[in-house]
Order: sequence, then structure tokens, then C-alpha cells
Amino acid sequence: MADSPISVLGPRPLPDHTIITGAAGWLGQGLCNLLTDPTSRYYRPTPITGIVRNSEEAALLAGIAGVTTVIGDVTDASAILNVLADADAGPTTDVIHTAGVIHPVRLADFEAINAGGTRNVVEAATKAGVRRMVHVSSNSPFGLNPDRNDTFRHEEPYRPYLGYGISKMRGELAVSDACRAGMLDAVIVRPPWFYGPWQPLRQTTFFKMVGSGRFPLFGGGRQRRSMVYIENLVQGIVRAELSDTEPGRAWWVADAQPYTVAEIVSTVQAARRAEGLASKDGGIRVPQFVAGGAVAADKLLQRFGKYKQEIHVLGEMGATIACDISVTRSELGYDPEIDLLEGMRRSIRWCQARGVDLG
Amino acid sequence: MSADLNCEVLIVGSGAGGATTATVLAEAGFDVLIAEEGAWVDQGSVTPFSLAQMDLQYRSGGVTVALGAPSIAYTEGRCAGGGTEVNSGLYRRPPGEVVDRWRSQYQIRDLDPTELDSIADEVEKELSVGLTPGTPSEPSRILRDGAEALGWQNSEIPRWMTYPEGTTGFRGERQSMTRTYLPRAIAAGARLVTGLTIDRLVISNGRATSATARRDGQPITVRFRDVIVCGGAIQTPALLQRSGIRKHIGRSLAVHPTVKLAARFDHEVNVPDDVPVHQVKEFAPALSFGGSASNPGLVALSLSDSWRDFAPAVEAWPSISVYYAAITSEGRGRVQAVPGMRDPIVTYRLTRRDKDLLRSGLARLALLMLAAGAQEVYPSFRGAPIVRGRADLATLQERFAAAKASVMTVHLCSTVPLGEDRTRCGADSYGRVHGYSNVFVNDASLLPDAPGVNPQGSVMALAIRNARHFARTERPRG
Repeated sequence: MADSPISVLGPRPLPDHTIITGAAGWLGQGLCNLLTDPTSRYYRPTPITGIVRNSEEAALLAGIAGVTTVIGDVTDASAILNVLADADAGPTTDVIHTAGVIHPVRLADFEAINAGGTRNVVEAATKAGVRRMVHVSSNSPFGLNPDRNDTFRHEEPYRPYLGYGISKMRGELAVSDACRAGMLDAVIVRPPWFYGPWQPLRQTTFFKMVGSGRFPLFGGGRQRRSMVYIENLVQGIVRAELSDTEPGRAWWVADAQPYTVAEIVSTVQAARRAEGLASKDGGIRVPQFVAGGAVAADKLLQRFGKYKQEIHVLGEMGATIACDISVTRSELGYDPEIDLLEGMRRSIRWCQARGVDLG
Repeated sequence: MSADLNCEVLIVGSGAGGATTATVLAEAGFDVLIAEEGAWVDQGSVTPFSLAQMDLQYRSGGVTVALGAPSIAYTEGRCAGGGTEVNSGLYRRPPGEVVDRWRSQYQIRDLDPTELDSIADEVEKELSVGLTPGTPSEPSRILRDGAEALGWQNSEIPRWMTYPEGTTGFRGERQSMTRTYLPRAIAAGARLVTGLTIDRLVISNGRATSATARRDGQPITVRFRDVIVCGGAIQTPALLQRSGIRKHIGRSLAVHPTVKLAARFDHEVNVPDDVPVHQVKEFAPALSFGGSASNPGLVALSLSDSWRDFAPAVEAWPSISVYYAAITSEGRGRVQAVPGMRDPIVTYRLTRRDKDLLRSGLARLALLMLAAGAQEVYPSFRGAPIVRGRADLATLQERFAAAKASVMTVHLCSTVPLGEDRTRCGADSYGRVHGYSNVFVNDASLLPDAPGVNPQGSVMALAIRNARHFARTERPRG
């Protein structure tokens, strides 16, 4: 199509219309802002529809020119079907499915939103005849690395980590089943723990804990963690959207290298100092078995349908979750330009600009 | 027949360690006697990996177990040539970084990777180590192609085999010790006595003066100046312990624990009398994948953990092959000789990380099989699911527990680690048992830990290095 705007991020032209689910979430807001910013290389002049759950969420996106919000819940199949059918504003529509829950109110939300919601979006996207759906998954369907030095390769067997992991795996399976059946062109991106602007409140707690030198370091903090700066993640999503790859492909989207937990803590402390915030060195050294205890407690609670965010995060901090992005680089041309120090500094500045107290 | 045997150097065992040691010393002019408990079986006279072979050439018919949770089944060769006669013949040089680590962590004097490399050159020539000239077998091709599909590093492992001129197939003749070093040792004057069991060394004032032995039920005394024990990582420490030598002996057994699966394809793949030559080293050294012997009996054995669900598959054995995932373990085991019992008690303890790695290894191997086109995968543990697609891999990992798995190993080492670190080494930098002037060890027991690759190349290189040192320092009577 001669008229379609060209992007430097992939061989496919930009779509005539982009639909973003979970548009008021951390990642959704990041996408809405970057895709509509004329100074950004992610800019697209074509219309964007953000699906949000309610008017409070819609208000979060109200100031963004180029984004229209529509109220609809991914757990409501007919609502999503209607939104996608109505929103079809041009010959090519892409859907970026970011809606998901990571710290739920009720454990059943995992299944309803992450698995059921994805099935609904897959079905709606199929019926609406979208060009491509990008499904935002997670590291969680693959669990924890079996050894501190192990790194997840491009292809790995599923081993979902608790309720969240199971629901995200089922979401992925819904996407890949539809692709295998030839019904839909969809691809999957798998970000690990992400960080950066538009962060929710729980990340502020993280900055404060690290700054006070009280972040727990299990077994010396030698576990390795992949992380991804939100703008790197947006790059991965857009490249996945605009690539000419086979339907059903999935890629890790993370920063260039996994970091050790000790390195994450010291880098955040360095970022705080660079941005003029007080910061104590180090963290609280905690024996490794405490993390094991937290994992056991988390498993037990989830078995009884309960979810406790602090316990869950504590258990995960003792583990290595590291992935290898070399195939993402070679197949998509993905190049995570922003590293941990720069990303954390930007994140702190973003908070400061909004008057958020980081201690 | 005389009840006594006399020699200058008694070598106990004729496998990868004993045969190479005997050759170096006999060629240096020592009067060498090799005591081999098993029989001499010509290569080619029994079918490889068959029951007949297990009976003839393995200790206890191939069924020995290290106790623990889980217990680990292991096999030991018991014949002239030892393990080299019965294993897959896959050969790997001692990796340079492993040698460097051994030298620094165990304080091994003058352990030089360059010297071991030049010895490896000689060994490879002597054993005709090389790649298959023809096309690999179907089970080997499956490993290669599955790994390629996933982008995982893999390679063909060379082995001690010769092949008929102009062959296009994969079958060759194993160039084991009975074809190579043992005839050379015998030609240089070494005497090999098969069926001779050494029960105990008689020790007096830090020296071994003789050995009490048996042959055909008759007691025999073997007299010597020096004794070099090369019975493998289980029998060597057991003999030393029976002789009253216990310090750092048998306390640090290292193995490569492995778990298995059987994979069924849509065409005939089974090769009953050979093993694949490809290995997948993408996750090495922590994790390696390879192919196992897969005759119908062994296919049935690998299905037996979940027999109720897997039994129907046994009919399809021609389209099934068995594969393994091996790990480098952080756990250690013990070998303990018990008075009145023929075999020592062996125990092994896997760590939490070892068990995680076995689970992950089995799942990754199953993924590789799916990528290679397997229709069904049968993991070898109790309650395992039949894996037909990627979602089943989650079930596999959820149900897996090391305690429910058939964990086994063929690589046993490190029960008499060498080095000058007296807090953990049983022998000095050249294999002389600490505290005993004429008792040496020269086999897999000396490797400080499991090298992460097929270990017999390391055993041979180290044994030849130590034997040459012995020849320089101990001098034959002449």
C-alpha cells in the first residue's frame, strides 16, 4: 500500500489502525505515549484505540492526542468482540494485547484475565480479520532457571511458576493454537520484570527499599535476573508487530544481558545518587533458605486460593530468571539501547517530575 | 600350579587406567603383572549392549546401585579392558579449563594441559579415534536435527572405532584396550592374568608387601615391589579400604547422574546394537544430551517406570529410541567396603540444584524430541505423562521428582582425588596414596571431580602422565 506510512522498525508498513488492550496499564500507557509522540521513532500518525475497563482508566489517557479510549473488559467476550468489530477503521488493523494481571485481588483473576481474556481477544481478532496480533506474555510460563548459571534459550519447555505462570501459559497456548489452525497471524513477546516510566506504586516501594540499603539479598545476591526497560520493550513489541515472521513465533524481549541481583541493587543506588537522592550502599543479607521458605509459603497460599504480593515477590527474589535475546536480535533486529543505569535514572526522573516521594 | 605370583609392579585392573599404565611400564622395562578379575572376551564375539554381554563383561550382570533418594543405578565393566570394551567408545579430551580448575583447586603439582594434550594426541592415534566416515545412524541424526531446529549447539563425538574401507554406514570395530594397549603391554613382556581377584593388600609400616588373591577359588599370594590399583572408582577405594587404607579414600564419589526418555517416531529408527554419536552441548557443562543403547529390552526398561500407561508402546519398539540427559552434579557419594560383603556399599546424595537440573534437562530433551518430529515421548519416571505437544512439557515438569525417576550413571570417578591438598586428596599429584610409599592409584578414582564430558579420555591421559612419572622416578630393577 503506497499510502501506508513506513516504519524503520520492520518491513511491514504501519497499520491503518492500532488497538491496544490494557491501555491504561503500565505498559499500555507507555505504548500510548510513545506511539503518539511525534519526536519518537515509535510515532505512528494513524489512529490508536485504547481499550480500558472504566472511566477512571480512560482519564489516565485523556491527554494523549491520537488515542481514543473505549470501555470494555477482556473477560467479557462479547464486549471485546464488539469493540474490535466497531473499531475496524481501515484495511489493516493490528492488536497489541497487553491486558493482564500480575498481582490480583482474587487468585481466580489470573485465569479469568490472563487466560480467558487472551482467548477472547484471539477470538475477536480472528473474527475482525486483524493483520497481526502481538500478545504480551512473560517469563513466568517458563518458571525459574534450574541453576544460577543457566540461561533460558529462545525455545524452552513450559514450566509455569504458580498461578500467574499457569494463566500466562494458557494465554500463550490460546495464541499458538489459533496460529497453528491458520486462523490468525499472531506473535508473542516475553518480557521479564520491567521497569521505567508509567510505573505503578509498588515500584516506588522498590526504589525506597533499595535506597535505604534494606533490599533483601539472598545468598549474596548472585542470582541472575533479566529485566527490560519499558522503552526497550516497546521497541520489541513494535518490531514483532512489523516483522515478516511466521505467525506463532515468540521472542524474549529484555535488556542486553541479565543482571545479578547485587548488580541491580548497586545500580539503582548509583542511579539514585546520580539523580541527587540519598542512598545507602548494599542490602540486607538474607540466607538463601528464606527465599525457599517464601516460595513454599506462596505455593501454600495459592493452593488455598490466596495471593500475597510481598510473599510472592520475596520468593522470586531468591531465584535466577535469565533469558537469552540473541534470536530476538537476529530475527527482529531488536537492539535494547537503554541499560539499567540509564533506565533507572529516567525512571527516577519520571517519578520526581510527578512529585512522587522516593525517600 | 604355584600358589604364588611374583612381579616388580602389580597392576590391579586392566581398563582405561590399568592397560595404559601397564603399557608405559612394560615398555620402560618393568616386570609387570596385570591382575584382571574378569575374562578376556574378544571384540565382536558378543553383541554390544546385549544381555549376554552384561552377563560376561559387567560386574553383577550390570545391575549395581548407589543408595540414596533417589538411588542411582550404575554399571561397571568387569573384563579384560574394563569399561572400554563395553561402553559406547565416545572419546573426549580432558577440557583445558577443567584441568586448570583441578590443578588450582586440588593443588596438583605440574598438571599441564599442554602435556595432557600431547598425550591425548598419542592416545587418539593408538585408539584410531575419529568420526564416522558414513552417515550417522537414525537415532544420532534425530539428536542432531532436533538440536539444529532449536538452534542448540551439537556435535558428533569421535570414538575409538575403525571402519571398513569405503563404508557408508556407521558400524565399526571398537578399538578398545584388548585391541590396543593390552596387546602392546603383553608384547613388551607384561603378564595378564584373568580371573584373578585381589582381595586385600598386606600393609606393614606404610608399605604394601603382598596381596592376597583368589583364582578359581584357590588362594594366591602376589608379591611385588610396587602396586598400582586401577580397579575403577568403586573397586579401587573398596580394595584400599579392605587393606586398611581409609584417609580420603571413597568419600568423594562424583558421577554424571542421568535421566532418560524414550521417543517414538513415525518411521523405523531403532538401532539395537549401537548408540548415537551426536551429543547436544548447548547447556554444557551443566547439562548434556545424548543417545542410549536401545535394544528392545532396554526400550522396555525405559518404559517400565510408568508401565501401566506406556506398555502399549513397547510393541512399537522399532520406531522408538532411548535418549538421556546428564548433569554435572554438585552432590557427592561414598564407597564403603563392608567386611564379609563382596561389593562395597555405595551411596550418593543429589543436591536440590541437581534435582532441578535433572527435571529441566529431561524437559529440554523432550522438547528436542518434539522438534525432531517425535510423535510421543515417554519420560522415565513414575507417573510421567506421555508427551505429545508443548503443553505436556509443563505436566512433565510438574510431575517430575528425582525420587520417582530412574536415575543412572555410567561415569564414576573421584573416590581417590589426586593433589597435595591433604584435607581432601587421597593420593599425591602423581597418584601415590598419601602416607604409603609403594601404593599407587591410576584410574578414574584420581579425577578430582566429574569432568562434564565422557571421562575415559581424561583417565587415559592422566594415567599415562602418572605412569611416565613413575617410570622416571622408580626405575626398573633391570
